[in-house]
Amino acid sequence: MPEENILTDDFLRELMNVGEVDILIGMATCNDAKTAGDVILAVRAGLLKCFARQRAVIINVDCASQDGTPDLVRAASISDIPHASNLHALRTLHCVSTQVAGEPYGGAALHTILAAADLLRASTCAVFAPDSTAIEPDWVERLVRPVLRDNFDLVTPTYRRHKFDALLVRNLLYPMTRALYGRRLREPYALDFAFSGKLGTHFLGEDVWTQDSAQTGAETLLTVSAMSGDFRIAQSFLGERSRRDQSASDLVPAIRRTVGALFWSLEGNYPLWSSAKESQAVATMGPDHEVSVDPIRADRTRLYEMFVHGVAELEPVLKSILSPATMVELQKVTRQAEDSLRYPDELWVQTIYEFAASYHKSVISRDHIIQALAPLYRGRAFTFLADNGDASGDEVEDYVEALCLTFERMKPSLLEMWAGGK
Amino acid sequence: MPAPQDALWYKDAIIYQVHVKSFYDSNADGLGDFRGLAQKLDYLQDLGVNAVWLMPFFPSPLRDDGYDIADYYSVHPNYGTIDDFKLFLDAAHQRGIRVIIEMVLNHTSDQHAWFQESRKSRDNPRRDWYVWSETDTKYKGTRIIFLDTELSNWAWDPVSKEYYWHRFFSHQPDLNYENPAVREEMWNVMKFWLDMGVDGFRLDAVPYLVEREGTNCENLPETHAIIKELRKKLDEHYPGRMLLAEANQWPADLRPYFGDGDEFNAAFHFPLMPRMFMALKLEDRKPVTEILQQTPEIPPNCQWCLFLRNHDELTLEMVTDMERDYMYDEYAKDKGMRLNLGIRRRLAPLLDNDRRRIELMTGMLMSLPGTPIVYYGDEIGMGDNVNLGDRNGVRTPMQWDGGWNGGFSAADPEALYSPLMLNPVYGYQAINVQSQKRFDHSLLFWMKRMIKVRKSQTVFGRGSIEFLYPANHRILAYVRQLDRETVLVVNNLSSSAQAVELDLRRHKGNILIEMFGRNIFPRIGDLPYLLTLGPYQFFWFRLRRI
Repeated sequence: MPEENILTDDFLRELMNVGEVDILIGMATCNDAKTAGDVILAVRAGLLKCFARQRAVIINVDCASQDGTPDLVRAASISDIPHASNLHALRTLHCVSTQVAGEPYGGAALHTILAAADLLRASTCAVFAPDSTAIEPDWVERLVRPVLRDNFDLVTPTYRRHKFDALLVRNLLYPMTRALYGRRLREPYALDFAFSGKLGTHFLGEDVWTQDSAQTGAETLLTVSAMSGDFRIAQSFLGERSRRDQSASDLVPAIRRTVGALFWSLEGNYPLWSSAKESQAVATMGPDHEVSVDPIRADRTRLYEMFVHGVAELEPVLKSILSPATMVELQKVTRQAEDSLRYPDELWVQTIYEFAASYHKSVISRDHIIQALAPLYRGRAFTFLADNGDASGDEVEDYVEALCLTFERMKPSLLEMWAGGK
Repeated sequence: MPAPQDALWYKDAIIYQVHVKSFYDSNADGLGDFRGLAQKLDYLQDLGVNAVWLMPFFPSPLRDDGYDIADYYSVHPNYGTIDDFKLFLDAAHQRGIRVIIEMVLNHTSDQHAWFQESRKSRDNPRRDWYVWSETDTKYKGTRIIFLDTELSNWAWDPVSKEYYWHRFFSHQPDLNYENPAVREEMWNVMKFWLDMGVDGFRLDAVPYLVEREGTNCENLPETHAIIKELRKKLDEHYPGRMLLAEANQWPADLRPYFGDGDEFNAAFHFPLMPRMFMALKLEDRKPVTEILQQTPEIPPNCQWCLFLRNHDELTLEMVTDMERDYMYDEYAKDKGMRLNLGIRRRLAPLLDNDRRRIELMTGMLMSLPGTPIVYYGDEIGMGDNVNLGDRNGVRTPMQWDGGWNGGFSAADPEALYSPLMLNPVYGYQAINVQSQKRFDHSLLFWMKRMIKVRKSQTVFGRGSIEFLYPANHRILAYVRQLDRETVLVVNNLSSSAQAVELDLRRHKGNILIEMFGRNIFPRIGDLPYLLTLGPYQFFWFRLRRI
């Protein structure tokens, strides 16, 4: 059984005390004491407000935090031990924490959550990011209710995002997933999401957990698993998602976790994505997007420099990944001055599809392929910022929609490359 | 005879609550009576109970099942005579069974001679025996108890053209305890029955005796003063008798009714009962432990009385709105089961006739701190009839056998005071004493065994309680202790098997002896004590150092 070796004896003992639950909330942490406490309290408030009668548990999977994060989680428990909590609640709420080794927020965390959910026979699970500082208690209801009451198997979020936020989602993950798998999921690989026990158990049993992709991109693979099986998918509007402070060094892990897993998923799901034609809308609770346009400062020059220098530095690698024609076009782009540089939609889509095909064929180390995408993404992000500097929310949305259509229109080229034609 | 020297007998009692009219009809008129009740005392003795609490049996127009008394000095002719009562009382005492009777202090029937006098004119000598007013605006802060039927606590009297005060039905005017003559007369009433030999009174609706403007007219200091006065007289003239309070209040508000051990000897713990049902449905001990944590210490000569069901609805006054909604949804999906702020159902139907849950709940009733009260018929799992009005659905005739009228009466079925239960699950042909006496595994036999084991250890009635808080919240575990007697109780509230680790290090070195089978369990050591329990299973262990 897949869960045999992932849960520690101490954790199993805690699960034994928790017993069967209706709702399991999971949260992976690593030194998140600054924010995780507020997230847990919001989640707890959401459970008490909307699911007071349901049996629930909050499970924290922590990766060697040194700042007391697990203690914050445990402190949110509601029990009958005198003076433990002044909250009035119908039921006991266990908040338990367990430790996992490996990469922070890696696949081991979701693997542990899935195994716990399977053991506790949770009908509904939700995962929240420990840095979701804008979280409101209502988020719990918005994610959990569609699973618990309406029998959806996967509920991904939609957020109110700043137009310059989530550029990887807007420029690659959303349009490519939509084009390949045919589902218009705005945040296909989210940090806050919910899923059914049925989907969780199905995914737990999939033969992915020994793969590198599952170690880094398990959340992505869960979404793909839902899209590739007989599962009902919905998205639910949560509200504003606070911007994450990201450094340049965060980009490669993020691409590895999302794009890498997406590329990897294409291997086993070729019959599905190759036959998916036009994309379909998914059931959506609330708006499927909201865009805020408050002025913020974006360091476009740094993006420009990292793109130009990155392409130059990685030229040998890129030549082994991209076709000569695409390489030529890409180099033309890098020669443009900053104020006129644009990485056009068609070239961007062709680039991504060629990366996917090269990943499939393992023309070089797959991880090197993923890493090589980083500077190109920066060029595309620069273009997005430049094109949408004065754009309204609707105009940004039109821009993304046009890119999506380009991804869909050019899908045959990927199919051709996949079959070995180029 | 019961041991008269033990003034704290009520701490060790197992009380059986019964309505005379419902138990056994000796004269074939369709109503139970005292002679019939006396004939069934052997059954109660065999069951093991050692006290009987009788619902009102006084002359009454019976518009509130006898809680509307029209004469405190007699017996309703339906139930017999004063001599019949004496015969029953003596027979009970001969069997070691004490008798507690109902005393409705707060109000009378509007048919009582006192009220008829009082309403004749505003200058009648008994005018001040009741609470009159020219307006219906006094005591505005007072809640209405019977929300389903009453719009106000004031009712207009067309005879004397004033309003009179009533906390319950409008045909139950409240007595005026400001009047010393009323207080004196009610003591005379009690003396009348005490002289006959009754062992105690269950005082009905005690929080409402006195009214004061600007208050909610409940639990007032003046009410406590009246109770203290009664208790003082009782102890002086009738030592060893007891007063049991019916006060549906939060534990902290109830505590003053014990005073310094100089008011009530015992009081019902109303908030615990719905929480036991809630805990069972939630499969979570929290409702029970929390309410008992909020329950204050009481003087050593005082006692809580615990019950699962009684003649009234399962009251949900002492729960939060969220808890009430939950209880309604889980235990009274059919709105016909709801009455006032409660649920008018018997124990077995509330628990889906699940023998395991009935046993578990009874086990908790018998092992939590207090004196347990068993409602008649629950020992055999009788059902209810929600199609009958008010609370009559839980007051149907006792089911003695599968024959004519369930063995309750030789009258024509049409003449019975209430229809018999007839349905295939709870009808008298399926659920009756005779059939359950035939099988060792019947609920009746199980109850007898349970009562016997409970009575074998005084710790249950008099001991302290210490809750264990195992991490498994489905397990309600506690240690009862009295001097050198120690009992460990472990209840599985869950419908599935559970494992639990108990921290029993304080009792290290003791062995556990399971009290029903007397089997020995391993000695307690330094490690957490691991137990596994089946669905709704419970254990009572006696701890012995040997």
